[in-house]
Amino acid sequence: MAEGGGCQGHKAERMDYFLQQMINGLTLGGVYALVALGYTMVYGIIQLINFAHGEIFAAGGYLGVIFLSFLTANGFMETHPGLGIGLSLVLSMGYCAMLAMAVEKVAYKPLRQSSRLAVLLSALGMSIFLQNGLMLTQGVYDKAYPTEFTHGGFDLGAIRVSYMQIGILAVTAILLVALNALVFRTRMGKAMRATAQDKVMSALVGISANRVISLTFAIGACLAAAAGIMVGLYYGSVRYDMGFVPGIKAFAAAVLGGIGNITGAMVGGLIIGMVEIMAAAYLPMGGQYKDVFAFVILIGVLYFMPTGIMGENVDDTRV
Amino acid sequence: MKGFSRIIVLTLALCLAMGAAAQAATLKIGSQSPLTGSYAADGNDIANGTRAAIDAIQKEGGIPGFEKIELFAEDDACDPRQAVAAANKLLNEKVVGVVGSYCSSSTIPASEVLDEGKILMLTPASTSEKVTERGLPYMFRVCGRDDDQSVAAMKFMTDELKAKTVFIVDDKTTYSQGLADNVEKLAKEKGIKVIEHDHVNQGDKDFSAVLTKVKDAKPDVFYMSLQNSSSGALMLIQAKRMGIDAAIIGQDAVYHPQLMEIAKDAAEGVYLTFGFIDEETPAYKKFLAAYEKYGKPGAYSAYAYDSAYSLLSAIKAAGSTDPDKIKAEIMKIDTLGASKHIKFMENGDSGSNYIIRIVKDGQFKNYWDPQTGKKY
Repeated sequence: MAEGGGCQGHKAERMDYFLQQMINGLTLGGVYALVALGYTMVYGIIQLINFAHGEIFAAGGYLGVIFLSFLTANGFMETHPGLGIGLSLVLSMGYCAMLAMAVEKVAYKPLRQSSRLAVLLSALGMSIFLQNGLMLTQGVYDKAYPTEFTHGGFDLGAIRVSYMQIGILAVTAILLVALNALVFRTRMGKAMRATAQDKVMSALVGISANRVISLTFAIGACLAAAAGIMVGLYYGSVRYDMGFVPGIKAFAAAVLGGIGNITGAMVGGLIIGMVEIMAAAYLPMGGQYKDVFAFVILIGVLYFMPTGIMGENVDDTRV
Repeated sequence: MKGFSRIIVLTLALCLAMGAAAQAATLKIGSQSPLTGSYAADGNDIANGTRAAIDAIQKEGGIPGFEKIELFAEDDACDPRQAVAAANKLLNEKVVGVVGSYCSSSTIPASEVLDEGKILMLTPASTSEKVTERGLPYMFRVCGRDDDQSVAAMKFMTDELKAKTVFIVDDKTTYSQGLADNVEKLAKEKGIKVIEHDHVNQGDKDFSAVLTKVKDAKPDVFYMSLQNSSSGALMLIQAKRMGIDAAIIGQDAVYHPQLMEIAKDAAEGVYLTFGFIDEETPAYKKFLAAYEKYGKPGAYSAYAYDSAYSLLSAIKAAGSTDPDKIKAEIMKIDTLGASKHIKFMENGDSGSNYIIRIVKDGQFKNYWDPQTGKKY
């Protein structure tokens, strides 16, 4: 046991303390950013706030447990831990993409010509349906992730970095770069951007709106599923209602960045994560009010910049 | 008008007759605990403990005058509003007694509703002092009290760990904050420096900010007062990752097999205050046999079993469902239960017997006895 740390100076002035908290904030922000992208992309294309998105995130977390438990039981995780996680990640992303496309077909497509309120209610209903579905099939208890090796970390000077933090940041970065390439460098991405800008006009030039919308849901779900698994691995467990709070925070992040704006969602996610951690780190009683600070920032930004920090009508970057 | 009042009288008479008929056949008791949400694990243990006690009583010949015992297991989700709703539902079902709830913040408002209806309530798990300090005549507690629990934790810090500094974190529930406040008060009395007393929210998953503070402060003891075992497990994983080397002390609410299931090696070496349960007594073995079909007992299964068993045997002894007669019989109980020796005091408490347990090789083990100051 160590003696009290009086000789190190006040924590508020110390760089290592700040850097440590910054890494914490980046990790959390990365997760929010991944989930926020799904909200913002769907909004960009059909102006719908897809409330069922948080549940896709939770489903991703559960699929991770299922695949990883299967691989652990077969002894595969002991020999190839990295490959096992990668495989679970890809499988869950694929499954969630199909789930999201099914949700879109069942709950949103029949209402495409209806009022926006009808679709919104359908989304809320879908969210409740999926959450209860998870509860009934997977049980009300927390499910533990089967891996132990995610508990490790290393020291970087006075800063402690865990392998999982590095993992989350790396996977987030890779997915964000891949997403950017997909949206801005491929024909598919061009079709998505065209549909977002003008559905009628893009249909006239031969772009199938249905296909593009399905694809948008699928991509958003892939990102959410990846976030779900990483949250499960990082925190060690999943529960059926795990999608609700991160869903709300990610939605706030999407609005903060300018809903419909991909870069905005990434930035918004990082800001929300960072504000939460820094409030808890530096403000007295910050720990218990960290959510309040995150939402106060959101209200402040919306008051002064109603379209979010990055703007919601920058048509080039809108999906 | 005359015809109308006659109908009312007839209806009332019919209701009473039906009520009496139903009563003769079925004894209704209730349980209330969080069956869904964050505390579902403990909540279901409580409902199952109650079921096991009913099974045991039935096996011993049941209760004379009642063909069967019906359990109404209500879900309060550890939410004070749902707790009041659940209590009202049990009131409408005219149950004789209720086993529950788990969270003190649910037990307290629910007990006020039940007390008005003269329904006995025995809590197997709510350890807040306030539960029995409001002078409710029909409120009983089978588990220990937080003021005693904090004394045990403090004694362990001073006598065994020889701690000089402590960092306290709670998650702001009636239970967890009450306990943390007690520890803070005692620490100041004993000359242990409280570096900080911070709070997190119920249901939080990310504790990295507050744990970085803990790591930075390098306390001798990190007192982790959380309302449930899954939050506790998440905090332990993150603490291990962060490389916190303080002695970590938890309490009865994080005491659950789920803690090791989720935290795995990160739970090793964690100390917890928990009531002493002697698993070698015949009473415990009888409980274990009755509980078998519900799986492995959780932290509060045995306490719920004892609560329900006390209630049912008091009803049996009283030979009536009159609350005052049952209360008189409950006060006469002086017997070795599955969880501890049960004898109720005037205020409804039944005494605390907290010891320090430790997580070792993925199991809870007895570690230190505050009475003797010795290791087991």
